[in-house]
Amino acid sequence: MDVGIVGVQISSHNEVFGKTVRDAVYECTKELLQNLGIDRNDIDTIVTASSDYYQGISCSNSYYFEAAASYLKDATKVEGNSIHAFIYALMRVLSGHFDTALVLAVTKASEIPQISTLTHISSDPFYQRPVGICDVTAAALQATKYMKERGAKEEDFAEVCVKNLKNAFYNEKAYRKMLITVEDVLNSPYVATPIRELECPAHCDGVVALLIARREKVKEICNGYIEPAWIAGVGWGSDPYFLGDRDLIKSGGLRKASEMAFKMAKIENPVKDIDVAEITDTFAHQELLWFENIFSESGVDAIRNGLTTIDGDLPVNPSGGSLATNPPVAAGLLRVAEAALQIMNAAGAHQVADAEVALAHQAYGNAGQHHAVVVLRR
Amino acid sequence: MEDVRVLTGYISLTYQWVLSPTDARFFDELKNKRIMGTKCPKCGRVLVPARKFCPRCFVDTTEWVEVSDEGVIVTSTLIGEKLRFEGQPIEPPYGLAIIKLDGADVGFSHFIGGIDFSDPEKAIEKMKPGTRVKAVWNEKREGKITDIKYFKPLE
Amino acid sequence: MRRVAVIGVGQTKHGKRNDVNYPELVYEAVKRALEHADITIGDVDAIVTGSMPAPMEGTNDPQLWLTDALGGYLKPLMRVATCGSTGISLAHSAYYHVASGLFDVVMAVGMEKMYENDPQGTMTTVAEPFYQRIFTAGAPGIFAQQCNAYIHRYDIPKEKLREAAAEVSVRNHLDALKNPYAHIRVKITVEDVLNSPIVSYPVRLLDLCPISDGACAVIFASEDFVKKAKIDKVAWVKGLSYAGDEHNLGDKDLVNWESAIKVARETYKMAGIENPIKEIDVAEIYNPFTYQEILYYELFGFCKPGEGYKLVLEGVVTKDGEIACDPSGGVLCTNPIGATGLIRVAEAALQIMGEASNQVDGCETALAHAMGGVNQFNGLMILGR
Repeated sequence: MDVGIVGVQISSHNEVFGKTVRDAVYECTKELLQNLGIDRNDIDTIVTASSDYYQGISCSNSYYFEAAASYLKDATKVEGNSIHAFIYALMRVLSGHFDTALVLAVTKASEIPQISTLTHISSDPFYQRPVGICDVTAAALQATKYMKERGAKEEDFAEVCVKNLKNAFYNEKAYRKMLITVEDVLNSPYVATPIRELECPAHCDGVVALLIARREKVKEICNGYIEPAWIAGVGWGSDPYFLGDRDLIKSGGLRKASEMAFKMAKIENPVKDIDVAEITDTFAHQELLWFENIFSESGVDAIRNGLTTIDGDLPVNPSGGSLATNPPVAAGLLRVAEAALQIMNAAGAHQVADAEVALAHQAYGNAGQHHAVVVLRR
Repeated sequence: MEDVRVLTGYISLTYQWVLSPTDARFFDELKNKRIMGTKCPKCGRVLVPARKFCPRCFVDTTEWVEVSDEGVIVTSTLIGEKLRFEGQPIEPPYGLAIIKLDGADVGFSHFIGGIDFSDPEKAIEKMKPGTRVKAVWNEKREGKITDIKYFKPLE
Repeated sequence: MRRVAVIGVGQTKHGKRNDVNYPELVYEAVKRALEHADITIGDVDAIVTGSMPAPMEGTNDPQLWLTDALGGYLKPLMRVATCGSTGISLAHSAYYHVASGLFDVVMAVGMEKMYENDPQGTMTTVAEPFYQRIFTAGAPGIFAQQCNAYIHRYDIPKEKLREAAAEVSVRNHLDALKNPYAHIRVKITVEDVLNSPIVSYPVRLLDLCPISDGACAVIFASEDFVKKAKIDKVAWVKGLSYAGDEHNLGDKDLVNWESAIKVARETYKMAGIENPIKEIDVAEIYNPFTYQEILYYELFGFCKPGEGYKLVLEGVVTKDGEIACDPSGGVLCTNPIGATGLIRVAEAALQIMGEASNQVDGCETALAHAMGGVNQFNGLMILGR
């Protein structure tokens, strides 16, 4: 595919916290454009990702429209898995109608009701909402099953936590950074068994923006100074809605998404071919669970054998993942941004050496229902 | 929020969600202490709660089937004191599970109750996956999913 | 660039649907679209769906709950939402899914279930809470302000405009009687409109759209698929464009409406249209308010600014005139908002295919339009043979 990411701009929690959504979107977009030495006129189309309930302002992109450089432009909004916004922008460029596209996602957890309340009301009113199905409880049901079927232990989940919160120290944009032990995690109280308080996502504020462009434009913008991240493959897929209708461990939707992305990227041996992965770890056990579905290899073994540590053969979440930084809806695009930084050799202190192929993944919805996978290449 | 000037507001909207004939029948049967599923003519699965169409085959279900009010826990969790959110249906601690009733091909979510939650370790053991459970009904039933009070683990 | 066509459409009976829940409503439209296109759900490669802000139905991220009803099992599915213009954004998204080369068959589905809540209460939450929300009196307040600005700008004779608006209402309602899916199906007269109660001056009750439950599905396919499956009745996408103005109501010129003028210019350019009123046979304009339909004639270049009312009074915008506007009965008679913009595309497609309930003979070029936000977004799509 001849489309690449030429610019990435992540606004950390501290940079967004004291600003309105509109101003935060403006600052992030402005900085991205400045760093690339381009202006609003160089952006042909815009796809943003935000969610009305997660903003308290309906038709959420209406409010920050101009702030995302969209005045009088063909700009649209995706709700849900923010990697979809990235993929939709890609399709717009692939169509030939647009040469460049700005992709942006924003969520301010600090301004809105508790995330569990908002995910609770994504449960249908008749069957799942009255019994309290929300992000935490659905994840807990899933984690219990994972332990039973795959022999995963609480220690394995705690290791993910320890790894990611430590990785976060090397990421200046990360929100929660902690040096803890497995014991610390296992001593934190249960929120819903077997999930411990420390294994829950670190909800925060964030804005993420990327600029993608067709090959000729990539050359023009990068001008020899920027290493672009070429989009090698994308895939997305869905599981049924009701928790009881799903396997919860084997995700058909994620398998479909992964297969689509790998086929497009011509990847035959994912574990070998991929150098670094940013996988949604909204709840600690999910990093292992999704790893397994994506790579068709045991997630439990991966964490036990050190495969996915920062020094391992396939580092997962060198950024610290959602356990460190979770602007709820924007988190998906953040995975793509972090994966892109790896390819672009711009991840700073959390750069994985020789990252030639990177994978980004997001699971959206209680217990992860809508999955999206992106493969980037140097 | 500390140190940041804010405008506090509320979005309060009232909803009246329609019960389709499928939902209405399912809930009416609950009043009679009967749990109903519908069968997909293509894959043959019995779906609980009753559904108008099969999500996998994308065809209308054809038969109504009564399933047992007894079944097995597919997975479960004990909600602790630490999980509190606006709109939470009941106060922790309480048990939540996906239960596959005898006769159904899929599970559905509901509460686990009738056990002592004060000792989490013991409680988790009593409601672990594979445990058989039976519905405990509310005295007064209104045609809602909560007409089933909870599912109680069988000894 | 890859050619893309509409190969099938499906709609629910729109109105007050107490016989179905939200997923079942969607299922009805999807089944009908598959039947119309003569394909199965297995032939659909990807799905894009959308509706008004989730507070409208009170379930967050409704695309998750509706996955099954959309036929989304295992499939790539995404939600695109731009308020009132959602329907046209869905059509655009499905078009780009196919035009990108990644898929051959993509279904767009829009839906709304408005009787379970207070829609005006929901729509008020579109305005940001700091400056505008308390002054937002739902949609009628906004559009009435636009209308008064319009009258003032061009010094339009008020009586004539009122009469034209009433005729627009009568025409749409009469046409809806021919549409088996339409919500409001009543025969009214110009007097009825002129005497109906004031909602927000000068807009009266019969100048306004209803709220409706409903869903619509439109299936887009690549030229390759059309050829392979030997589909003979299709509507090709000839042009499309979308643009947005500023959020703050006061920042925008509501009369010389920039986004509407821009998308018309760009879509016509893509479709090779130079004289819209002559070259377009049917225009399914987003018309929740009579006055706004008239303003759109001008913005879309059918006539000079300030002269829209003349097109009505001279019978130009009827089936027997130069360009048939909203022969389906329009938004004025059917408005399940998340589906509404997509219904415009569906009706335009049916006109091209020769299968519309109120068919315009020899329709070769049709325009579909939707507007969204607080007078903020405009999107167009032109279909042809």
